[in-house]
Amino acid sequence: MSDSGSSSTSGDDNIDQDLDLTSKPIEEQLASVQLTLSDTEPSASQEVVNGIANGSVNRSNQLEIDEPVQGNSEDALDEVGVHLERGVVWGRIVSELEKDGPPSPSSSGYAGERGSSSGTSGLGIDEVEDEILEVRNRDSVNEVSDSPAAWVPGKRHENEDDASISWRKRKKHFFILSHSGKPIYSRYGDEHKLSGFSATLQAIISFVENGGDHIKLVRAGKHQVVFLVKGPIYLVCISCTEEPYESLRGQLEFIYDQMLLILTKSVNRCFEKNPKFDMTSLLGGTDVVFSSLIHSFSWNPATFLHAYTCLPLAYATRQAAGTILQDVADSGVLFAILMCRHKVVSLVGAQKASLHPDDMLLLANFVMSSESFRTSESFSPICLPRYNPMAFLYAYVHYFDVDTYLILLTTSSDAFYHLKDCRIRIKMVLLKSNVLSEVQRSLLDGGMHIEDLPVDPLPHLGSSSHLDQHRLPTDSPERFKEPYAGVGGPAGLWHFIYRSIYLDQYVSSEFSSPINSTRQQKRLYRAYQKLYASMHDKGVGSHKTQFRRDENYVLLCWVTQDFELYAAFDPLADKALAIKTCNRVCQWVKDVENEIFLLGASPFSW
Amino acid sequence: MGLSSAAAIASEAIQLCIFDLRRGQHEGQELDKILFFFPAGLPFSKQLSVIGLSEGLITFTRIFSPEAACEVIEAERHRHVFYESEPDVWMVMVVEKSNDSEAIWRDDALRKVLKEVHSLFVMFHGSIRALLEKEPGGELARRHLYSFIMDYLRDFLVGKKLLLPSFRDCLKERGTVQMLTIGREAAIEVQSLVRMLESCAGNSSCYSLILFQDLLVSTTLSPDDTINLFTYAVLRLTPHALSSGVSSWSYLRKGNTGSNFATESILAHSRSVSDSFYGSSDTSPDGDTHHHVVRPLQHDKWSKGKDGYLVTDIWGAEVGNWAYATPTVWLQQTQEKMYLCAYQHRNLTLILLVPVSIILNGEQGVSVVKQQVLENASLKILKVEEKLSKGWGGENAYHVSGYRYLLVDGDRNVSRASPAGKVATLNKDSLLSMSKVREEVDLEKNRAKRDGSGCERDLEFCIRAKNNAWVIARVTRGKELYMVLEKANETLLYASDAVEKFSNRYCNGAFSLD
Repeated sequence: MSDSGSSSTSGDDNIDQDLDLTSKPIEEQLASVQLTLSDTEPSASQEVVNGIANGSVNRSNQLEIDEPVQGNSEDALDEVGVHLERGVVWGRIVSELEKDGPPSPSSSGYAGERGSSSGTSGLGIDEVEDEILEVRNRDSVNEVSDSPAAWVPGKRHENEDDASISWRKRKKHFFILSHSGKPIYSRYGDEHKLSGFSATLQAIISFVENGGDHIKLVRAGKHQVVFLVKGPIYLVCISCTEEPYESLRGQLEFIYDQMLLILTKSVNRCFEKNPKFDMTSLLGGTDVVFSSLIHSFSWNPATFLHAYTCLPLAYATRQAAGTILQDVADSGVLFAILMCRHKVVSLVGAQKASLHPDDMLLLANFVMSSESFRTSESFSPICLPRYNPMAFLYAYVHYFDVDTYLILLTTSSDAFYHLKDCRIRIKMVLLKSNVLSEVQRSLLDGGMHIEDLPVDPLPHLGSSSHLDQHRLPTDSPERFKEPYAGVGGPAGLWHFIYRSIYLDQYVSSEFSSPINSTRQQKRLYRAYQKLYASMHDKGVGSHKTQFRRDENYVLLCWVTQDFELYAAFDPLADKALAIKTCNRVCQWVKDVENEIFLLGASPFSW
Repeated sequence: MGLSSAAAIASEAIQLCIFDLRRGQHEGQELDKILFFFPAGLPFSKQLSVIGLSEGLITFTRIFSPEAACEVIEAERHRHVFYESEPDVWMVMVVEKSNDSEAIWRDDALRKVLKEVHSLFVMFHGSIRALLEKEPGGELARRHLYSFIMDYLRDFLVGKKLLLPSFRDCLKERGTVQMLTIGREAAIEVQSLVRMLESCAGNSSCYSLILFQDLLVSTTLSPDDTINLFTYAVLRLTPHALSSGVSSWSYLRKGNTGSNFATESILAHSRSVSDSFYGSSDTSPDGDTHHHVVRPLQHDKWSKGKDGYLVTDIWGAEVGNWAYATPTVWLQQTQEKMYLCAYQHRNLTLILLVPVSIILNGEQGVSVVKQQVLENASLKILKVEEKLSKGWGGENAYHVSGYRYLLVDGDRNVSRASPAGKVATLNKDSLLSMSKVREEVDLEKNRAKRDGSGCERDLEFCIRAKNNAWVIARVTRGKELYMVLEKANETLLYASDAVEKFSNRYCNGAFSLD
């Protein structure tokens, strides 16, 4: 790596070129775009050679499922904590910028300055946060000394750009750029090297905008290019994953909202003051938040169902957790959320405040993807885009154990010590009522297993936990009565998702044979995604039932006023039996709804 | 004045252009790329901007998808559908999504329009590339494309609007042939008629096509050539085409023939503007022999002669002879130039294609062949017509009560559908849902095609739509079945049973589950 000084100058040159580009008439722009594209061809083939020669692969991160096998990877994990903290600090910088007017050109994009500015601005923040800030400052120092290139957002395949064949072959690209064509984020490759490509995307978008229209989608063979314009922020996805347009667009919305969660919408004002504002600095170090969100698009059904899911727990256990959270909420906390990984244990909100499932997903992703939250209690400004995209809330985050964490949200920036007290009280109650150990047990047991689908649909009386009951020895022979043992549940049932409409919650069965590998699971989610998009077409209106069979699955979807059921069967499954099985699944879910859903949660009574 | 403003509105709604990526690569020569643009009256700057965007996105998408460049651009107000008709020769159709809820299209249906007009063009004029090579200035290609496509588009005019196939046409398949079902006995008769016809030129390299009304009875051509000639026949030659002067593909158009006045003025308006560019001096097509462009799709140009042969002056008259010149077409498969002789007896239309190369003395030779046909086959033609007419069930012959369906055999390029009048009784929501499902199936089919491996996709969609109609699609072994059942029972099993019954009765069980 060359020293940061020289590389930043070259970055500067690129940017100047971009500005020249934008001043040309659009026709010329597009023409020149073509020229540059064809010019890069020869160098692209060189890149391949290099790519293979360099071929050292350090793919420590499981987030990389979409990628082709070859390619280098730059491991950013050890810097995650640092970056995250900086991301949080920069959240504040935004507001500073608003006060101070547009940043001078020299302070807008370079490592040294950014490093120091985060340090100094950090010092200016309320004393309340000192204990957190100390950590931050230490990190900033480390960062400057240990990793001089840390200002380049840590990411995999950093050496790639649009001329590399490996980059072009990645299955799913995501880009954020500014309306002047400056790159803000790219899932793969170095943003600065991609400034030419970014200018191309900008040229396409503004060419169509200048014609009084807005580009949404370009289809080419297996590839789709999806565009989303959010004021001065442009988002683009280039994908060959066969996901429907509606899903990809939804994912871009999520990425935009994740950005808002870190910065709030007031970032728009920076662009109003200076259209060529360079935003990469504000998001530096948050790569891991975005990559983890992008990863969740391929495994987390919440991303297309727009609902959240709960950790299965005995009703009384969840009640106990809810009661203490409610206590806390009454003392001036806006939302109190207890989560285990991406599942909700319990949550309550202050009166009239409601939390959108998408906000929960983004918040959980932000917390879980940031290593630093695990190591200490943190107090961070965050924005819930569906709640109020303009304002910061303050999140107190604390991990009780490796999986279970508490998020307390407040509007007050000096509530740290109050929230810390709340956390101590909550922890005591949780320990006393064994909630934390129950949570661990539930993690081990898992949720609904299709093999346990009751044969007779009558509710089992006198049981505190239906989920557990079916794992009792007396019940197990029942399971094997079905001739389908070993290939999923009865009637060839492989998996299901049940979404309760009025609860905004869903429950997804545990994966079992033959959907074993992550690849198969991802494929099934994509099939569900397609089915979801097809069922909820905006133009035609929602369908009521859908049966769909291809060489991989039989999929059944049933939408009523109260719930939506998505079920996957063996492709050879019998229709009549499959329908019967779906009815049984619905009954089963109703029987155990006390354990799998959070009932009577106040935030959702609008 | 009123008409020209209407023209402006109409021309906003649809644009169609053809451009050659190999031309006009230098600054200042961009106009060279444009081979066709509708509406021609659009300022060149706007034409270039449509083509610039298209070209930009073709280049851009090739970064990621070198094997298949841009197919569709979807914007909030417009949709651009791409078709690479010949290497580097692109056709792009831009349709406007108006507030008009009728303006909902399926990409593949629009692309098939582009494909159809190109295939027909090539059949009559040869490839665009060949024309460009013949006359590198592009004048020749432009003139031919202009008159050909304008004549073609005229078929889509309803009142003041160009009506392209929309969701309402979702139970139809362009680019396929509709067959008449005939009994064994009739089939034998037809067989011997075909043999008789093709022997009249004394050479086995003749081809024939026989239609009964707008349905195909027999063909000896390759599948692609069959589609082209069948399409042309239905557009211009069959009794129905001759009598109405309007093609029969869309029921929307029926009874709208009275609007020709407005029609002409709309297309004429856009024509006058850029005559110089397209060199279309065809305002006096018969007079100017220098610039004479044959316009095979020109309306009201075919008629039935006294001898039963269909005649037209489209191909001009032979010098020193009163007779009209015989039309010629290029066969796609053999790249052979053929004389096209069409004979009509009541509902029966016979098309005989004779290689130009074997007729030594031009028109004279053709009339000898024609005479031969009359002498040898007249009786047989009468007999076959009679037989087919007897067995013909009328306009609703292929209606199956309770069902609205489209059946496509992709391997044979044959389709059969519920009669248009019956499809028109369907609820709009049902048609919209079906159009959507077809779009999904199109995507899956295209994927399978690209993957190569999964050419034989097996798919089943069975949807209970908002309006309680069942919308069903089945794809199996290259065959497709689309079906809408309204007023049907609500259970999925009922819908499946209905498909099963239909499949067993009308598709030889092709879609039945064992």
